[in-house]
Amino acid sequence: MQGSDDPVIIVSNVSKTYGQIVAVDRLSFSVARSSCVGLLGPNGAGKTTMMKMIYAKCLRDAGPDSLISVFGRDPARDELDIKYLSGVVPQEDNLDEELNVWQNLWVYGKLYGMNRAAAAARIAELLDFMELGEKRRVKIKELSGGMKRRLIIARALLGGPKLLILDEPTTGLDPQVRHLIWEKLRQLKKEGLTILLTTHYMEEAFQICDSVLIMHKGVKVMEGSPRELVRTRIERFVLELREHGASLAALPGDGSVRVDAARGAARYYANQNGVLQGLAAQMGADQYYIRETNLEDLFLQATGSSLDD
Amino acid sequence: MTDGMTHPGLARRITAVWYRHYRVYTKSLLSNGIPPFLEPLIFLAGIGLGMGKYVTRMESLPYIVFLATGLPITAAMFTAAFECSFGTFIRLEFDHVYDGMLAAPITVNDLLAGEILWAGSKGIFFSLAVISVEALFGIVPMPLTLLSGFVGFLTGVMFASISLFITSLVSSINQFNFYFTGFLSPMFFFSGVVFPLANLPPVLRPVAEIFPLTHSVRLARALDLGNGTGQMAIDLLFILAFTAVAGFFAFRRLKRRLIQ
Repeated sequence: MQGSDDPVIIVSNVSKTYGQIVAVDRLSFSVARSSCVGLLGPNGAGKTTMMKMIYAKCLRDAGPDSLISVFGRDPARDELDIKYLSGVVPQEDNLDEELNVWQNLWVYGKLYGMNRAAAAARIAELLDFMELGEKRRVKIKELSGGMKRRLIIARALLGGPKLLILDEPTTGLDPQVRHLIWEKLRQLKKEGLTILLTTHYMEEAFQICDSVLIMHKGVKVMEGSPRELVRTRIERFVLELREHGASLAALPGDGSVRVDAARGAARYYANQNGVLQGLAAQMGADQYYIRETNLEDLFLQATGSSLDD
Repeated sequence: MTDGMTHPGLARRITAVWYRHYRVYTKSLLSNGIPPFLEPLIFLAGIGLGMGKYVTRMESLPYIVFLATGLPITAAMFTAAFECSFGTFIRLEFDHVYDGMLAAPITVNDLLAGEILWAGSKGIFFSLAVISVEALFGIVPMPLTLLSGFVGFLTGVMFASISLFITSLVSSINQFNFYFTGFLSPMFFFSGVVFPLANLPPVLRPVAEIFPLTHSVRLARALDLGNGTGQMAIDLLFILAFTAVAGFFAFRRLKRRLIQ
């Protein structure tokens, strides 16, 4: 039995290999109750694989010290208990096209073993919460991408989960819907829900995650609160220069400026704004932009700015 | 902590999968509900009116009765085969329906058992649809022939297991063409539905005995005509054994596909 202060998820030394490919490599992290943790990383970093191992859609490699515990249970043994306590929002839309909005939730009510009255009440409540109340009788084909996503989130919440797992919840959605979904997730977290999500959007991580874990090629490269990471792990300012050609400036010899030149654009990082101003003047560049660094800069630094795949 | 909450039991998990298919199927009631009645009508008219003129008796039965006692079973075979080949493949690879369902508290075994139970139910529905058309024309003995509905269920379950196994082997949906033209069509012709196995060349008779449909049809015909013998027990055992073996390999292989 789990105590109320124990983490909801504990992952320790977990690996997953497909033949020669190591998708997840000795990963460890934990997710505290009522917190939101984000797995960040480029495509192929192993984020989705890690998520799937938590709800037993994917089996971790056997290993003496490899452990996954969700509500004190091992997904390899107690998948039903874990799935009953969790809601999952997968990456692809997999709604039943033949059924309407309400029916999509209704058939899942059966899967969660809900009786008719409880299911009907819960569906009405969730459709209102996700602002889909007026779409009850609408066919799936007539829904926008944002509505489909909200419906899938409603479906994941149907069984009253204690843990919500979302794989790229707002990819491909417009800003209005993204902000709506973030707002709903923050609200759910306040009500005690624990959230684990993957994302490519640094903005998303900043908006809702208490803690992020940056993954690269199956390995954890960084972990911490988004604000703290940006404050401590990267220079404060960046000078972005487009079309730098051959006119790259000579850097100050004291190492106060770090340069990252990739694919036609150059970025100069420094802790002092003035140093970058001077650099820009020295180069006579007119196409430049100096700003504070953000999580995306850190992400590119941690995972490399070149494409892996 | 709500540790006292427990997930639904085995029977509820399997029927929940069944229920999902039932809701999707009955959503298109007209296009899904009419053909099962239309097809035997066309078949009986075409074969009965045409062939019946030339072939009057077969195995001491009027030809139309011989045919009519086999048709409910082939209807069950084809509907279960479609459901668990094309249907399953689309749910698996195109619509990602299983990915959604497997996030709910069910296992892969529950999911596949639900598929098979649903195919068995369609087996009952399709065989009873054929029987009701036949009864309308007074072709088959009633109410005995209603027992074929039960054989329709067994046949549906068996061909669901076989088809799930085939689905576990294919990588593209077009490969099912081999299954339908190479396996199911010959089975239709050489399982004692359209002519008695006794008319087969002696070397081919053992082959027909391996065809699972042979046993379903023989069992159904014996029940319909009320002239069953000890052979019925053998046929039933064959059906159960074939279902178990095909199902075993289907579950094992599909589990590897669904749980990475």
